Amino acid sequence: MGDCKLRIAKCKLQIERQPDNVPYRDRHGAAATEFRSGRSLTVAVRLGSRLMQFAICILQFAICNAFLTSDARAQTTRDTIAAVQPKVVKIFGAGGIKGLASHGTGFLVSKEGHIATIWSHVLDADVVGVVLSDGRRFTAKVLGAEPQLALAVLKLNNEDGTEFPFFHVDEAISAGSGTRVLGFSNMFNVAAGDEPVSVVHGVIAAKTTIEARRGVFDSPYSGPVFVVDGVTNNSGAAGGVLTTRDGLLLGMIGLELRNAKSNTWMNYAIPVKELSSSISQIISGKFEQKRDPRSDDTEPSAKPRRYKPLDFGFLLVPDVVDRTPAFIDSTLPDSAAAKVGLKPDDLVLFVNDELIQSCRALQDAIGRLESGDQLRLVVRRGNELVNVEMPVPKKREKE
Amino acid sequence: MMKNASLMLLILSCFASTSAFAWQAPTRELEEAEEQAFKRAVSQVAPSLVRIETVGGLDQVQNFLLGNGPTTGLVLSADGYVISSSFNFLSKPASILVTTTDGRRMTAKVIANDTVRSLTLLKVEADGLVPARAAAKESIKVGQWAIAVGRALDANAPNVSVGIVSAVNRVWGKAIQTDAKVSPVNYGGVLVDVDGTVLGVLVPLSPQDNSTVAGVEWYDSGIGFAIPLTDVLATLDRLKQGKDLRAGLAEFTFASTDMFGGDTKIDRVRYDSPMYRAGFKDGDQILELDGHKVTRPAQVKHVLGGKIEGEKLAITIKRGNETKQADLTLVGELPPFEAGFLGVLPTREKLAGGAEGVGVRWVYPDSPAAKLGLKPRDRIVKFRDQAITSAAQLIDQVSRVRPTEKAAVVVRREGKEQTLEATLAGYPADVPKELPTSPIEAAIEVEPKKPDGKVEADGDKKAEGSDKPRTGRFGEEVADSKNAWWAFVPESYNPAYGYSLLAWLHPPGDTLEATIFDSWKLEAERRGIILLGLKAANVGAGWQANEAEFVHEMVVSFQKKYSIDAGRVVLHGYDKSGPFATHLAFKHRDVFRGLILAASLITERPPENLPEYRLQFQLICGSKDPAHAFLDRNANSLRQLKYPANFTSLPDLEHRYPNADGVDAMARWIDSLDRL
Repeated sequence: MGDCKLRIAKCKLQIERQPDNVPYRDRHGAAATEFRSGRSLTVAVRLGSRLMQFAICILQFAICNAFLTSDARAQTTRDTIAAVQPKVVKIFGAGGIKGLASHGTGFLVSKEGHIATIWSHVLDADVVGVVLSDGRRFTAKVLGAEPQLALAVLKLNNEDGTEFPFFHVDEAISAGSGTRVLGFSNMFNVAAGDEPVSVVHGVIAAKTTIEARRGVFDSPYSGPVFVVDGVTNNSGAAGGVLTTRDGLLLGMIGLELRNAKSNTWMNYAIPVKELSSSISQIISGKFEQKRDPRSDDTEPSAKPRRYKPLDFGFLLVPDVVDRTPAFIDSTLPDSAAAKVGLKPDDLVLFVNDELIQSCRALQDAIGRLESGDQLRLVVRRGNELVNVEMPVPKKREKE
Repeated sequence: MMKNASLMLLILSCFASTSAFAWQAPTRELEEAEEQAFKRAVSQVAPSLVRIETVGGLDQVQNFLLGNGPTTGLVLSADGYVISSSFNFLSKPASILVTTTDGRRMTAKVIANDTVRSLTLLKVEADGLVPARAAAKESIKVGQWAIAVGRALDANAPNVSVGIVSAVNRVWGKAIQTDAKVSPVNYGGVLVDVDGTVLGVLVPLSPQDNSTVAGVEWYDSGIGFAIPLTDVLATLDRLKQGKDLRAGLAEFTFASTDMFGGDTKIDRVRYDSPMYRAGFKDGDQILELDGHKVTRPAQVKHVLGGKIEGEKLAITIKRGNETKQADLTLVGELPPFEAGFLGVLPTREKLAGGAEGVGVRWVYPDSPAAKLGLKPRDRIVKFRDQAITSAAQLIDQVSRVRPTEKAAVVVRREGKEQTLEATLAGYPADVPKELPTSPIEAAIEVEPKKPDGKVEADGDKKAEGSDKPRTGRFGEEVADSKNAWWAFVPESYNPAYGYSLLAWLHPPGDTLEATIFDSWKLEAERRGIILLGLKAANVGAGWQANEAEFVHEMVVSFQKKYSIDAGRVVLHGYDKSGPFATHLAFKHRDVFRGLILAASLITERPPENLPEYRLQFQLICGSKDPAHAFLDRNANSLRQLKYPANFTSLPDLEHRYPNADGVDAMARWIDSLDRL
């Protein structure tokens, strides 16, 4: 039966895989999933034949299309909340000092009681406490973690074989900006008693990528995120879920994070699609942890300075303030820079498509080049943008 | 068993859903239709939004750390005019890049700023851009959907936040308010309705403050603002000419400081202002502005708030039984206010009051008063036909006469009154070389001091009357990361007299408590100065912007506890605490009347000199201090803004805290702050 479920899901995913800009794709996807997790699954069980899987898949799609114009699929927001809340749990563990919260949120991902949550200090305890939406209490242990995805998976101590309501993580979907979403979490431990977690609403503000580099985002996770316009990311909210209005799993709410580009706190969730294979692997015991970048000392934390502007034959103006614009001061005769026509007072704006906001940023960008690369510059000369390209020279061993 | 259970489930779920259809279908359909409308609206406006990136520039403005990420702008014309929030260019970048939805990337020029509404007009060399459609201002209704759209988060698609219109005509008539999330990721972007028609341009705003960073602290809070696009388009041609738009000034102040409870009686009409030229006078009462009846200062501000220089204002006033009407053309700038100076220090009499006139304590040499032959112990009983009952009132009356103008002064000497005509001068820059102290009689009843002498908590009502305020040196040490303080109140403290208050702000790393106490104790006793030494939460790191409230509250609590002359409350910074002291003095103009900066420069642009907020400056440093010449220049710039500003140079002193001569000069300056 487990197999059957997985294949249907794969089938559904293929149906769903369409370009992002097709309108209402999410709606179709939503319909398919909703239907499958309800009646078609039951039908599948009743027929009980693996040979029929493909046929069911087709059938399901057909039925779902037939229902699209009527109301058979999506539910109201209230129905969604009632369906999602039992799958979200409160986690209590380490913390409680120096302003660190000792509470967090997680969501059930198997009927046996596996919980996906954020990898955080709350889990720095031998055993953590887990409270379900109806107040039932369990202890749980960390089964595995993937720090690069900020993911941890817990297993409830479930000796009497209780079955839990859960999310099928392999059914997580994606959605575009403007999609209405709901966030479920134990923010600020408001849901301290035998009560379900808090729900907030909003829309997806943007689908974008956070890159944990150059101090812009101090986050272990780098990759795509859903940015939300509601205030989803509060203390203790990380590990909660973001769903569509009709209850489809979108993402796991991330840790509080400040965006240094705009100096604002971000509300965002990590797409469960990015996490689902790791979750499944941890549950099945086939997981091999990737390197934790924080404990990785082979990755040079210092910025490499393999090349300097002078290697290309130009000099920058003196770097006097924090954001000195990268104006070219002079070029050397017969150098590569002179040959491509760079001139004093040209302002370097881009190096290989990366925006250069200061002399320092230019030195970093040029420092990262490697022998054999092409150096593409966009410079501003008067009001014109000028493109030039130079090969990166071979470096001799020494220095 | 399993099969049966499943069958049951199937039937149940069918039932559940059918029953749900019957009464919930409209809700569901509505929710979906709305969501589709949001997405459609965003795609409608997306081609008119550009992404803005900047290169170079400042990191920090007014203690506010600036981001350097991408921001948003709105296309206003096919030929490349783009409007954005001025906040996005606070860093004064060296270069601005604009990327259109179709991927074209161009450099942009700043054409002009609208300082009233925090907007900046850019121009790129392009054609075929897609200008936005503007919604008529009257059609914007509170409660309708409002979608905030920016292009800062992702290069390929707009970022979206959904809310409603919370209010219109907000921030003194300037803006639409929304609960959609507005922040640096969409400042310069737009607020659209469900059709994608633009309601307004998103900017940070605050009803209390006009600076470009004001209102940023409200980001993502559910309080966001947008300038109606129709208003932006109405002034577009003026901005295109490359001249910044400034607030339109009529320039008058009200007698009442209560914005919402006071009346509209004019206290002062500024010299050379449109009101002045139209013949309006102090004491006129405003009845109507642009056809709106007004009875409160706040209503007046609402009409004037969004006005731009050059715009018209129809005004009706009442003077006695007459009404007078005029159409004013508002101006962007006025000559700075300059108070007249008579050359007198008033005697500090017991606060009992009821005295007729104000005694002369000391006469400035070569001043208008000296030319009239005024002497100590003369009493000024009338000024400009106003009977004088207090020094504060006389200071106010004298400040209403401009330098070189004449005013009638009635002086009583040995029982005889004579009327003299004074020609006022400007405030002198120098501190009197010799200044006799003002005598303070010892308090008559002396209560025994409390042995424990615990410091009362702020605002403790019981402290008034029942307990005698503490004298001598005392203070409060507090737990980690809180602000501590110390104070010195002269032992001879007599609440019947008004004292000066000197609030000392130490530089980072050292509170200099002993230095300040030792060098000021004697002067404090002699000249009636209460010393209040405040300590940053983290002494090593120094003062942070958010500690301004602590300083303000401590000073106000001392004003409640002790008899302090509101005209002689002084902030004192040295070295690196100077900018913080300056920031405070400019922020709380109603409290601080003097600023002493020792070996430190004024780094913040001073606000306009206003008659209602008297503020005097003293800059002091050693002649060998590298900053010496800069301080001198600072004082000159202050004088150009018509602020009374003294520069004291201490011979042979390096960059360090002023020596005994310096402290003597500072004490004399404090002791002459009530000059008029």
